[in-house]
Amino acid sequence: MRFPVVAACLALAVGVAACGSDEDAGSGDSAKTNTADTTGSTAPVKIALSVPAADHGWLAAVAKDARDVAKGMKGVELTVNDSATDSAGQADQIETMINDKPDALVVLPNEGEALTPVAQKATAAGIPVINVDREFSTPGAFRTWIGGDNYGIGWQAGNYFADELKCKGNVVEIQGLAGISVTELRTKGFADAIKRRCQDGIKIVAQQPGDFNPDKGLSVMENILQGQKSIDGVYTHDDDMAEGVIAAIENANREGDMFLTGAGGSEAIMKRIEAGGLVRATFLYNPTMAASAVKLAALIARDEGMKDLTEPEVPSRIQVPATTVTKDNVADHKGLAY
Amino acid sequence: MKISAANRVRIQEYALVGVVVVLLVVGAILKPDSFLTSDNMLNVLRQSSVVGVLAIGMTFVIATAGIDLSVGSMVAAAGIAGGLLVDSGSLAFMLGALGMGILLGGINASAIAYGKVVPFIATLAMFAMARGLALWMSDKTPISLFDAEAVRWFGNGEVIGIPSAVLVFVAVTAIGWVLLNRTRYGRHVVAVGGNREAARIAGVKVRRIVFSVYVLSGICVGISAILLCGRLSSASPVAGNLYELDAIAAVVIGGSSLAGGRATIVGTFLGVLTFALIFNLLTLMNLAVEVQLVTKGLIILAAVLVQRKES
Repeated sequence: MRFPVVAACLALAVGVAACGSDEDAGSGDSAKTNTADTTGSTAPVKIALSVPAADHGWLAAVAKDARDVAKGMKGVELTVNDSATDSAGQADQIETMINDKPDALVVLPNEGEALTPVAQKATAAGIPVINVDREFSTPGAFRTWIGGDNYGIGWQAGNYFADELKCKGNVVEIQGLAGISVTELRTKGFADAIKRRCQDGIKIVAQQPGDFNPDKGLSVMENILQGQKSIDGVYTHDDDMAEGVIAAIENANREGDMFLTGAGGSEAIMKRIEAGGLVRATFLYNPTMAASAVKLAALIARDEGMKDLTEPEVPSRIQVPATTVTKDNVADHKGLAY
Repeated sequence: MKISAANRVRIQEYALVGVVVVLLVVGAILKPDSFLTSDNMLNVLRQSSVVGVLAIGMTFVIATAGIDLSVGSMVAAAGIAGGLLVDSGSLAFMLGALGMGILLGGINASAIAYGKVVPFIATLAMFAMARGLALWMSDKTPISLFDAEAVRWFGNGEVIGIPSAVLVFVAVTAIGWVLLNRTRYGRHVVAVGGNREAARIAGVKVRRIVFSVYVLSGICVGISAILLCGRLSSASPVAGNLYELDAIAAVVIGGSSLAGGRATIVGTFLGVLTFALIFNLLTLMNLAVEVQLVTKGLIILAAVLVQRKES
């Protein structure tokens, strides 16, 4: 495979260039207004962020949110590397970042397991690592973890379906990419919740992967609609993918027979929830967790705690809740949609 | 016994008809009330259309012993290019998508025909570049085409009960068949793939032919992008991922030779249909994904082995 190597080299080159220009800029950015900083301290800190290349709206939002929040923080100089397309490429990038000796390193790994060694290396070099979302395989590799609640998405969705369907009906589940923990947890949480609430009252009549991809979601749902004549609700693992599933249902003129839920919290899905109709709810997996991670990184680099907590240091785990967003509360959450 | 190239193509076409019939019969037995309905069959055809159009273009490329690994990425770039123009109307979208397909196909064509870059590498470069362009132009977010009614018609509309996407696919297939089998151009394409040196000596403008097939593939990309975006009512920068593999696989199980010189449009059409039928049947049966993938692999292998035996 030639391409990943080329991409990694390119990414490295970009990374080095970015680091250089940031040093030149010095603390010139700190003149900007401070709106996002949670503490009084403005001691200059250098934070490096590594996320995989965006192949999905959610990942694109992660990098953007982090950049935006850093702009508003006094004394924070953020370097972003978001071009690695595989784990090996991202590991190479992080090695380069370690050499640059940032005060803290924020990493959303392409795969937690594969990037654990390089995170350990950073920790060993004295750089605190803030792990976002996909968890490293050993706690020794990071200082703090912040992430979403995949099991919670399934659990909340299961409870929502139990309420909406009054524990009786046929449900279709369009899953994410088979074989990764995100999909497994979103599946398990849903199954556990409907089992606990309704025993066998709600039947999952079809369960197929749509790979987080709208085109796949469309084709899979078209086929399922052919086979299942009675569907009451559709649980999808992802808002972007749900767009394809929605298109399939609307093309078949069956949007009156069923409702659908998403996961993630995209702007498009929130608009649909607001408008009413087929899409009734989504369960948050907020990309702003990366922005929060940058704030945590600044606190850790400055040796500070979270001022509303009693402890003088940042907690070692923070989980962002999978809040259920429906027509009733969509207005409160639209501002953070991606 | 020696079988001429033309005859071998014909035998493989028939063999694949057998595979399609077996799939239909098996489906009718396993899913009596939902598989063999006209509704579901039109659904299968509609799903074939996006990759199907790409596969027709790919047949010409493979006939010259080339390969185009970039069609999936180019579909995304073409869709986004159209999407950026959609405020000026559906026609602007379509021209934008076709224009981008032809432009990127033209870059492939120039690099391969005149820059003497190996097709595998030239189109691998485009595979990366086109995906990058799609993400760049769209700022990594999908573009809604909800108001572009004509574009949506191509994805979801119907003419006397037949989905418009299916009509487009059939029309592209028919044009491809005539072009390949009934024109001098088609004979030259196959000649270039069969023996480049002999074709040159016989007076075929080899470079021009090689150039043209990648542009043709680009045109198919534009058409395919219109169908896909119409079906999804949106243009997504991550659409079309790995469509090139589906298209190449359909061409090859259809009976065209990756070594060039032997190409069949009917075979490609049946190859596309075979894949769509397998996907449809396995989803209808609600098999777990791991079972589906193993089954799909076995069916592909069986289809190719059956052809080998019969020829």
